[in-house]
Amino acid sequence: MSENGFSLPLIHNTVGIMTPFLLAATGGLFTELTGMLNIALEGLMLIGAFFSVVFAAATGSLFLGILLGIISSMLVALLFGSISLYLKANIFISGLATNLLAAGLTVVLSFQLFGSKGVIRFENISKLPELRIPFLQKVPLLGDLLIGHNILVYLSWLCIILAAVVIYRTPFGLRIRGTGLSSPTITSLGLSPTGYRLKAILISGFTCGLAGAVLTLNLGAFVPNITSGRGWIALVVIYLGNKTPLGIVIASFVFGFAESISNYAQGAINIPADFILAFPYMITVSAMILYSVWRHYREYGK
Amino acid sequence: MNGITRLYAENDVLANNNVDFEVLENEIHAVVGENGAGKTTLMKILYGLERADSGNIVFKGKEVSIHSPLDAGRLGIGMVHQHFCLIPEFTIAENVVLGIEPLKRKFFFDSERAVKNVREVNEQYGFQIDPALRVSQLTVGQMQLVEIIKILYRKADLLIFDEPTSVLTEQQINRLFSTLRKLIKIGKTIIIITHKLNEVKEISDRVTVMRKGRVVAVKKTAEIDERELSRLMVGKRVIFQFERDPMPPGGVVIELKDVTLREKGQERPLLDKVNMQIHSGEIVGVAGVGGNGLGELEDVISGLREVSGGVILHNAEDITRLSSLSLRERGLAYVPQDRLFRGSSLQSTVSENMIISNHHLFLKGGVFKKKEVQAFTDELTQHFSIDGDTKALIATLSGGNIQKVILARELATRSDFFVFSEPSWGLDVACSEFIYSKILEIRKQGVAVLLISSNLDEIQGLADTIVVMYRGRVVCSFPNTRDLSRELIGEYMLGLRDDYQKIS
Repeated sequence: MSENGFSLPLIHNTVGIMTPFLLAATGGLFTELTGMLNIALEGLMLIGAFFSVVFAAATGSLFLGILLGIISSMLVALLFGSISLYLKANIFISGLATNLLAAGLTVVLSFQLFGSKGVIRFENISKLPELRIPFLQKVPLLGDLLIGHNILVYLSWLCIILAAVVIYRTPFGLRIRGTGLSSPTITSLGLSPTGYRLKAILISGFTCGLAGAVLTLNLGAFVPNITSGRGWIALVVIYLGNKTPLGIVIASFVFGFAESISNYAQGAINIPADFILAFPYMITVSAMILYSVWRHYREYGK
Repeated sequence: MNGITRLYAENDVLANNNVDFEVLENEIHAVVGENGAGKTTLMKILYGLERADSGNIVFKGKEVSIHSPLDAGRLGIGMVHQHFCLIPEFTIAENVVLGIEPLKRKFFFDSERAVKNVREVNEQYGFQIDPALRVSQLTVGQMQLVEIIKILYRKADLLIFDEPTSVLTEQQINRLFSTLRKLIKIGKTIIIITHKLNEVKEISDRVTVMRKGRVVAVKKTAEIDERELSRLMVGKRVIFQFERDPMPPGGVVIELKDVTLREKGQERPLLDKVNMQIHSGEIVGVAGVGGNGLGELEDVISGLREVSGGVILHNAEDITRLSSLSLRERGLAYVPQDRLFRGSSLQSTVSENMIISNHHLFLKGGVFKKKEVQAFTDELTQHFSIDGDTKALIATLSGGNIQKVILARELATRSDFFVFSEPSWGLDVACSEFIYSKILEIRKQGVAVLLISSNLDEIQGLADTIVVMYRGRVVCSFPNTRDLSRELIGEYMLGLRDDYQKIS
């Protein structure tokens, strides 16, 4: 089908690899729209990653693993949200604390439970089921790229579609956006901006838990700091995506592509590995710079 | 059924002092008073944004408790705030229905029905505005209309307007008033807070006059003329008895020539060709009601806002475009109205606030000489009898003590020109008098003083020359003598007279 031997698998990979970015950014979009800089995405994702694989191994069920991973991440999100919103801690500091807590907690628990601070393999975990959804295969041109991914990939698509509907088509979404745009207005109507912010944080806990599960269940193992900055990149994805669902899909794809090039290049091209591994992050930095330059010109350029 | 909307709010703090207030159904009731008379507080209590310490509210014959705007909304009370509560990025329809959105299939926001509902409200009341427009595209007058639609959509019967005309142009005011009349015709009740007396006469049926947190009069508008209203508003008060030794007029220190300030989108300039001279050893008191250019004059003269036209001279040199730093270096001292944000740094200690403008005097190799800072701070604290720990954050001090810290700092600089804006606002008598005595002291030293204040007592007690501003213009300028009547100044302040002939 493709005359170019490497591009099609590369893009097919990208669609899979972008999933954690997409999920974390989906939840992060909610917190962003309520006017909060949610840097805890990284930590929430790590919590989800650890607990989903641990519970999946313990229960022998992928479904329960994912579910409990999500619940753990949401509990930590609840803690983070309560401290920021009700105890009025600076959200940047409490977000940072959440990330440090997640990094520490996962390592401590893995040492306590499995006696290792390093990579922990779980042999008894079955692979995530791959789906071939017939109607997606019929999509012209893209058909082959859209099929054959694991179930969580499709779930992430469902999440972003659902998010778009909730944000633009429901009263809840209207109020979420209103909270970020003018919280005094929300207050003057007798609604609670704090309530919407907490709900947004819980949503981010949900999607980050799922994002974490994608990372570990794909591997069947937990690696300390397996998220390696993906939560931060998700934050960048939200801004690059101009805080819209479609924009987030595109931006996630860009970063997913960068990562899959980096994966591909490790085996194929003779460049130092460190440089190749740094590629997604270099893309992040340059994308951020280009984005802010573009914003600047759009706003003041005339 | 008995047809009476009756309110009774009682409050021991100064804002509202044992206030009885009554609105009859289907009338336009004006609440007038100077700034700080307690009008807005009273209305916020009625709307549930603030709580009364004591007293009760009776609405349609029943005693009610209003804890939040939601309670007020349920009772049918709506309020249009002075500053609009709208989300510019949303459409009119979205703004109107926010909080009580129409649903389709129990879950989705029905934006078509929202537009339709708002259109129905528009038809019902004869408004002409497209609900699908974004609020950011609207004029100020239209935004206000959206606020009105918002409360009508919530089926309010009692509508409160907090200084609705302050941001509007002449035409928009006329349109607003015809809207208000329309609302009365269909049985609504309206309370309008204002301090513009011509508007009271034009629109209201009855008027409640407030002064210093108390109701001083309730009258039928038809039975009272603007002069009487102005007298009630301003009141007869004891003028502070200060010894103002006659001073031989010194040279001109500051001169304003045709100073004009325009803002985008405003037809009327905020400052309209203001001319003023301040001599050495002279206190020029600028009086006026809020929103007539006093704050703008303060901003312009302290170098915080650039003028659109005209010149400001300091000792005959042009200082119009100088930054506030260079103004200070030239000898401007400034006690701003906003003492919490502009006058002090709340996150810094008392002592840091005291040295903030001349900290370079205390430096040695880039590091503060701690002992000297302490000595300086202690001296000021003692001299100005400031009550509080100098190492504590200034935010922990009372308003009066914060003002003293600012005053102490400003007085410690060598200056020949002093700007005071509302120096005693919110302070108790003892503290105010202390500040007044300091103002008179620097006058004796030959400093030129500009005193901007909406408090007539202060102006009449201290100033050598009284200047009144109305709508950004200087409408009169008198030497302050004992027989200058308060009523006369009051009439100029409220725009009732424009017969002043400029003496130049």
